[in-house]
Amino acid sequence: MKILVPVKQVAALDEDFEIDSTGRDVSEEFLIRDLNEWDDYSLEEALKIKDGATMPVEVVAVSVGPERIDESLRKCLAKGADRAIRVWDAGVEGSDSIAIARLLAAVAKREAPDLLFAGVQSSDHAFASTGIATASFLGWPHAAVVAYLGYEPGARTAVVRRELEGGVLHELAIDCPAVLTIQLGINAPRYASLRSIKQAAAKPIEVLAPAALGLADSDVGPSGSLSRVRRMYIPDKGRAQMIEGTAVEQAARLAEIIRKFKGAGA
Amino acid sequence: MIDADRITRVLFEDFAPAAVRVFYVIGYGAIAVFGYGVYVQVRKYRRGAAAALGGNGWARLGAMTGSLLSHRTVARRDRPAGAAHRLIFFGFGLLFLGTATITLEYDILAPLFGIHFWNGSFYLWFSLVLDIAGVALIAGLLYMMYRRGWLRLPKLDYARPDRAPGDPDYDRTGYRREDWAFLWTLLVIGVTGFVLEAVRLVWLAARPDVWDYRWWSPVGALFAEAMRAAGLSAVPAGWLRDGLWWFHGIIALVLIALIPFSKVKHIFTAAGSLLVRDPLAAQRLPRVPEGQPAGVERITDFTWKQLLSLDACTKCGRCHEACPARAVGAPLSPRDVILSLREFANRTLQSGVLPDAAELSVHGKGPGQVAMETLWSCRTCMACVEICPVAVEHVPIIVQLRRKLVEDGAMEPLLAKTLQTIHKTGNSLGESRRKRGAWSKALPFPVKDARKEPVDVLWFVGDYASFDPRNQKVTQGFATLLHQANVDFGILYDGESNAGNDVRRVGEEGLFETLAAANIASLGAASFKTIVTTDPHSYNTIRNEYPDFGGNYRIQHYTTLLRQLFGEGHLKVAKPLGLRATFHDPCHLGRFNQGYEAPRELLGLLGCELVEMGRCRANSFCCGAGGGRIWMADPVGSEKPAQNRIKEAAAIPGLQVYVVSCPKDLTMFEDALKTTGNEGRFVVRELIELVREAVT
Repeated sequence: MKILVPVKQVAALDEDFEIDSTGRDVSEEFLIRDLNEWDDYSLEEALKIKDGATMPVEVVAVSVGPERIDESLRKCLAKGADRAIRVWDAGVEGSDSIAIARLLAAVAKREAPDLLFAGVQSSDHAFASTGIATASFLGWPHAAVVAYLGYEPGARTAVVRRELEGGVLHELAIDCPAVLTIQLGINAPRYASLRSIKQAAAKPIEVLAPAALGLADSDVGPSGSLSRVRRMYIPDKGRAQMIEGTAVEQAARLAEIIRKFKGAGA
Repeated sequence: MIDADRITRVLFEDFAPAAVRVFYVIGYGAIAVFGYGVYVQVRKYRRGAAAALGGNGWARLGAMTGSLLSHRTVARRDRPAGAAHRLIFFGFGLLFLGTATITLEYDILAPLFGIHFWNGSFYLWFSLVLDIAGVALIAGLLYMMYRRGWLRLPKLDYARPDRAPGDPDYDRTGYRREDWAFLWTLLVIGVTGFVLEAVRLVWLAARPDVWDYRWWSPVGALFAEAMRAAGLSAVPAGWLRDGLWWFHGIIALVLIALIPFSKVKHIFTAAGSLLVRDPLAAQRLPRVPEGQPAGVERITDFTWKQLLSLDACTKCGRCHEACPARAVGAPLSPRDVILSLREFANRTLQSGVLPDAAELSVHGKGPGQVAMETLWSCRTCMACVEICPVAVEHVPIIVQLRRKLVEDGAMEPLLAKTLQTIHKTGNSLGESRRKRGAWSKALPFPVKDARKEPVDVLWFVGDYASFDPRNQKVTQGFATLLHQANVDFGILYDGESNAGNDVRRVGEEGLFETLAAANIASLGAASFKTIVTTDPHSYNTIRNEYPDFGGNYRIQHYTTLLRQLFGEGHLKVAKPLGLRATFHDPCHLGRFNQGYEAPRELLGLLGCELVEMGRCRANSFCCGAGGGRIWMADPVGSEKPAQNRIKEAAAIPGLQVYVVSCPKDLTMFEDALKTTGNEGRFVVRELIELVREAVT
């Protein structure tokens, strides 16, 4: 059996960051890149099935992005993924989560996995839509925010428990192939030692262009997206102010402020 | 006057030729068993991995001989045991040499070349010397029996902190029996030797060439006089001599045969271990050989040298006593790690065929295996390595086992998180790389960027001193001192990463290699004459480990630089402090790098009265932060090593200041001062802070 695990290299903000000249993103130099935290858990869930299985289980990590994301894919290989696929060409730049999902669905069609584990969301953009949109493109059943998975390798169905508001769990059986978005805390992700990451550098990462997946230029990038970033900015700070002085002085100042906001003469 | 040739050792007197032949058969049999045992042991060691022995072979031989003859390592921290062992060592050694000399003449030189030397005054002197040796042996043995039987030292009770009663390898009765059997066997050999000597004198009292010279064997002669006074005559003495001769001879030969199969083998393995000792075993950890997996998984992954050292352990318990983890009830005793692995090696590597690879893994909770809780309890403080009389190197063994745990991800989530943080940001506090030099902004003078302009002294600051708010004050203080003393210094700013000392001791060798390479690259891009560091951990790894990665520098800890600045008059004490102080030796400055004197001299210069704690200098007690433990949680409710240490300091009457010279120490002990309820009684201060106070 096969499990496909889409992962994302996310960006964390360094101290004192700045917005770049386009006004639509943070300047590259202030970003610290790492594998999305949710994806540590989705990959671990796949590796757990692989480790506990008596039948051969193949775990394939896939990501969409430029060459720098190979580092994150290598981390997946170091942890035990069998293969890694990176989808990219210049036209993919500017894709939103829907266009990314279209690419991931195309990879899933090619790979024909029994299960697809995505993270619930990414820690940087937090759309929480890529996994579910992928299920939609594939026409597969899906379950979001999965906090428990019961699955025997090769079985036709999986039992999942979803985390709902207020600590309620929602247990359901889902037919495979299915898309699950995995929640934090479902397992304890393993550590990838630096040596294992370095050794994974020797493992090849398959690079695919959208065309190789049967997608047209218009399916990806801004033209394949349903949303476009208008701007990224830091909102003005709130203007809270402590009123100093005795109770009488404070009351007088407060009354003055209220009158001012009500409008003079009202 | 009796012809000198006739004055000689009575050997097979009155023995039938058949009896002599029987004795030789037994003798050769014993040597054959001994030889087979040696073969089995050597085969066991050879099943280990290759070991690179650094240094000069003659120097190592000299060091070993020095250790053996002086007994320096055996006498440390236990002088009576050292003295008793010295008596046994030299007593037994002389008796063995004496017996060997008889063989040399009787079996080799006389039959082959007709050379006789075992007579006349040579014999008489030797007879006297061997009598004294026999007394020494017996005296040493009696003290050892007294020590085991009556003193009941905790370090000798073999209680294991890493196993629970009922576990298959919890019970150590076998060891105790062997200890006593060894002592009794030697004692019986020694005592029967004297009795045999006495009955022989009584038996041959009519022969002037024997009896007239009896006082050259004073102990035997004394016994003989007593026996004669009690009415023993020559004939029954002859019968006794026959019986005792065989008893004494056979028990001695059995002991020789059993050497390779019992604790007696330490006479060879301890010497061997001392011979292959690495003086920097804990300071400079071994690299992972190219193309090989990291760490030790199977017993055969240990080097032959390590397997040999497992057999050198004499269970003296000094490491057990010195270990800070053991002292606070953690499931680790360095002794038991060594004994476990020894038992494992004996079980798996002594048979003719090697078991399957699956049965060779030393990780786990089975008999002879080492549990991860045990390995993660270690502070790599080197107290065990430093005190071991027979050069067992526990720290590299533990770190190599940890390397395997790291590869398997078998560690606390908190530690895994910290390692990922260090990888991502270059520091263990998860701060932004670019904020590393931010502490310098608060100073009224600029701190040079050594990457941009040449400096005399490059200051390697380290993580805690750079980012921890409490330590930043100390860091700013040191910068001010350098500035006052007109030292041309600079730092690497965001070019500096965690030096990797503790990362390496955690067992994350790949991350250590990355950090070392990054720092060596930054240092290579800077222009400086020497390095100074305020962090003993960075000091150790840059000084001892970076050379293996191509980084060769002149580096000193700040204490020696400050001493030098005072000595040259660049700094002056304006206001002697007059404080009653005690000094905590940081492991990595003291035990690791012998930096004992500079901080003490500085305290003297500042006008402090230094009162030493019982555990000081080489026996300094780790704060508990080493070996990556600062990134792991200590069990709730149990005493922490730092608390144990603060309680020791609190027992000093009138103590005003507990002085440290390591950023981690400052953090650990300020915390321990509060949690032990000693806040207000005395304070914890970085030495730099005291210097600042005294010079301004």
